[in-house]
Amino acid sequence: MDEKAAQDLLHQRSFIGRPMHSTLLANERDPEIRFDTKKQIAAFTSQICEVIVGKTEAVKLAVACLLARGHLLIEDIPGVGKTTLSQALARSLGLVFQRIQFTSDLLPADILGNSIFDRNEQRFVFHQGPLFSQVVLIDEVNRATAKTQSALLEAMEEHQISADGVTYELPRPFFVIATQNPQYQVGTFPLPESQLDRFLMRIELGVPDRASERAMLLGMDRREMLKELNPVFGAETLLEIQAKVRTIHTSSALLDYLQDLLDASRQRHRSGLSPRAGLALLHASQAWAMMNGRDMVLPEDIQAVGTAVMAHRLGHDIEQSGQSGRTLTAALLNSVPVP
Amino acid sequence: MKILRKQDTRIPRRPLLWLAAALLFTLPPMFGTLPSWVPLLFLIALAAKFWMEPKGYHLRSLVWKLVLVALILSLLFFSYGSLRGIEPGVSLIVMLTSVKILEAHTAREFHIMIMVAWVLCLCGFFLSQNLAIALCLLIAFTLLLVGLIQFHRGSSSAFWPPVRTAGKLLAQATPLIVLLFLFFPRFSTGFRFQIASQRGSSTGFSDHLSPGSVSSLTNSSAVAFRAEFPDGKIPTLGAMYWRGVVMWHGEGLEWNAPKNPAALPKTSQSPLRSEGVRQWITIEPHDARWMFALDWPANWPSGARLAPGNYLWSDQPIHKPRRYEVTSYPEIPNNQPHLGEREPLLQLPAAISPAARALVQSWTTDKAAPRDIVEKALEFFRTQGFLYSPSPGEYGKNGLDEFLFHRRLGFCEHYAASFATLMRLAGVPARVVTGYLGGEYNEIGHFFLVRQADAHAWCEIWFPDLGWQRIDPTAVVAPDRVNLGFNSFLERRAAAGQLDNTQGVLARKLAHWPIFARARLGWQTLSYAWDTRVLSFDGEEQESFFASVGIAGHGPIFFIVGTLVIAIALLALYAGWTYLRTRPRGNRVKIMYEIFCRKAARLGAPRNPSEGPLDFSRRATRLLANDSERIRSIAEAYIALRYAPASDPMTLEQFAKEVSAFVRTS
Repeated sequence: MDEKAAQDLLHQRSFIGRPMHSTLLANERDPEIRFDTKKQIAAFTSQICEVIVGKTEAVKLAVACLLARGHLLIEDIPGVGKTTLSQALARSLGLVFQRIQFTSDLLPADILGNSIFDRNEQRFVFHQGPLFSQVVLIDEVNRATAKTQSALLEAMEEHQISADGVTYELPRPFFVIATQNPQYQVGTFPLPESQLDRFLMRIELGVPDRASERAMLLGMDRREMLKELNPVFGAETLLEIQAKVRTIHTSSALLDYLQDLLDASRQRHRSGLSPRAGLALLHASQAWAMMNGRDMVLPEDIQAVGTAVMAHRLGHDIEQSGQSGRTLTAALLNSVPVP
Repeated sequence: MKILRKQDTRIPRRPLLWLAAALLFTLPPMFGTLPSWVPLLFLIALAAKFWMEPKGYHLRSLVWKLVLVALILSLLFFSYGSLRGIEPGVSLIVMLTSVKILEAHTAREFHIMIMVAWVLCLCGFFLSQNLAIALCLLIAFTLLLVGLIQFHRGSSSAFWPPVRTAGKLLAQATPLIVLLFLFFPRFSTGFRFQIASQRGSSTGFSDHLSPGSVSSLTNSSAVAFRAEFPDGKIPTLGAMYWRGVVMWHGEGLEWNAPKNPAALPKTSQSPLRSEGVRQWITIEPHDARWMFALDWPANWPSGARLAPGNYLWSDQPIHKPRRYEVTSYPEIPNNQPHLGEREPLLQLPAAISPAARALVQSWTTDKAAPRDIVEKALEFFRTQGFLYSPSPGEYGKNGLDEFLFHRRLGFCEHYAASFATLMRLAGVPARVVTGYLGGEYNEIGHFFLVRQADAHAWCEIWFPDLGWQRIDPTAVVAPDRVNLGFNSFLERRAAAGQLDNTQGVLARKLAHWPIFARARLGWQTLSYAWDTRVLSFDGEEQESFFASVGIAGHGPIFFIVGTLVIAIALLALYAGWTYLRTRPRGNRVKIMYEIFCRKAARLGAPRNPSEGPLDFSRRATRLLANDSERIRSIAEAYIALRYAPASDPMTLEQFAKEVSAFVRTS
């Protein structure tokens, strides 16, 4: 199912607020697909890895973020495959997908939607913006001004949009993938801390290693590959998996470790990790544990997702030059003992 | 390497500020004891450093450094005449530190500056050891510690954490300090610093009485000594004559005491009828040998003797605070002058003016008794318009006449000296006694503080029937001086507008605020305790302390080794306590796992504290290939027990077995 068909499907519905379960794809109903969750996820991951060569770790983190019901921020220089990764994620899920290119003159109404006067019905009708979708790719999120950036806040946190006094619920699952250029690039508006905190993870892709780059140079065009991607599972399965993630067991020893990390970050930095960050870390590590086929979270899971979850939350508290959120997080993870 | 070099060429500002603050606190002992240009140059160097450091300047050229050092050496040589001794040595260290401050610009040199500043702290104690200085140097010491900690924490960390850490370190060091203070052997002889004798002149009390010699002390608030009355029998302020030196030899207004008096033989003491007043006196060092006691001391502490004239005389010059006990009686035990004493008691100055002779002859007509002569002389002082003044001005060569017949304005030494001279002229044996009168009672510490300003001079007259009697001509002229104490006397005078020393009055008014007065008394008590308990804790005191604890009679080696052993035991206790505090607590699983990890560490696979169990087992299986199977199963069991939803007790038993097997076998 391509993008346009899904878009049509979405617009046929009388109201958008409810999750759209039954309307989805043929293979969703195929019992063949409903095998073991771990295998499902592995298949999903490997499909994306075919497109994004040599970035298995980043891809796995992105998948974990998706499974943990979080939003993903991909930060890197242009041309390393940020957009390709997000498109591959969206297409492999078979969800309704929208891409919004952020620019400095973009306004909140451009993404949320407008009320336009309908001459026939003699009233204002709300025309939904591109944010009413299941997977939203926001390209170059830090090219837009703070006003537009903050229009995303409600959608991301509450999964709803308020416009003209009416609150519209967003479809489920709702997943925002944003890409941004590094801060030092020209023409960027850095995301405020509150906005950053709403992204469960921030990952960096980086340039591929030599062998991967060779494979990419020799292989098919990435755009073509994207078009050929088939959804591995659909919304219903994803929601099931997401629900299952939250049931992954976290023992008290593990929660001790998690809280030790939070405490240490608060002691060391002026603004440490927020309780929301703690939840994010918990959910992300649960997703990670599930991806590794475990029914319990281990400290290793927290450490695996730790940098992606914590770095952008600590990054704004840099006290000394030469330190980044990543180094602070690495220091934190290396110094807090596992109880 | 190059980058490292570059980083090393700047001292961060914050540690430098701490260091500067510490150096400022090392200054107070230098003022007043070293020539004032030494601390001033030091301050200027410090200020210059703060001007230079942001600009990246520092003293680079070797030639300049050499020139500066040569300049310093020659300056010191000119002001002291030599570079030997404590004060030139300390001055040299201070000046060289100033040059180092100008020169330093790397991290390594920052460390050197800290070390040198610690040496400066030590030098401060060579110069002065009173409580205020000790507190100053303690603050300096702490600030240096803070500076060092801040330096190692990096430039921009917060203000309080290094202070807290330094405080914690000092608190942890306190038991060691107390231990070393009490037990480290003190050598009473040999290792003693002879501090230059100029201090005697600054405290002023001397064995030579001349016009102005006592009144020059009236502005000095320096402490002469402190006295306690352990039996609670406190004489009235007006009767508190602290006997210092007896002067036998008079020249008009100038009187002298013998340089090295003989000792009174013990046998000359006759039994005493009245009850004595026991005193504990802590005397400030004055580098001379007189000691003070109330009129009239009958026994003497060890290391001192009772000189003819019944005053205490130390066998050794008093270089450090000394505490002694003495009992005084309101009468002199053996009240007859010895045969050898008679003649000097009537010795007269070579030149006595006819006017003075005529005056005395007017009293001695018709064979007057000595008592009548004394009365007449006192009457003369009372009625002839004599005035009492702490600043009577200079008296010239013919001081006696000028005082008696023209100016009639004088301080206690004028009255005592002239009165004694007049008495001798009239054939009545007389001598001058110098010492102190009164004192300030400290109601917090229950002791009397006697300052240099309380210095006083009076007379003693020998009557054939009563023996030596104290006659204070000052009491006739200014009775308030005697009864109220010198400070109250001055206050009353100031209130009456008779004193133009406005600054002093202001300070005295300030001193009358209750809070201020309490604080002052508290401070005096503290510094009294410091002098009597800390500074005077010398070899003898230590011996008696050992005796009271029951470990007397051992050599210094015993105590050095003992101190070391106790110190190590303390440290071991502390280490054990921290271990107990941080040891694996709680469930058995964790304890077993810790045991497993320790064993693995011994085998060569130490667990990183921040390493999770899965990562560790992977690494350990690689490192310890022989036990890989066992390690894996232990890790699995541990994970299941500690992180899995529900663990059954069977697994725990199995886990414990496997761990103990691992610990035993491999």
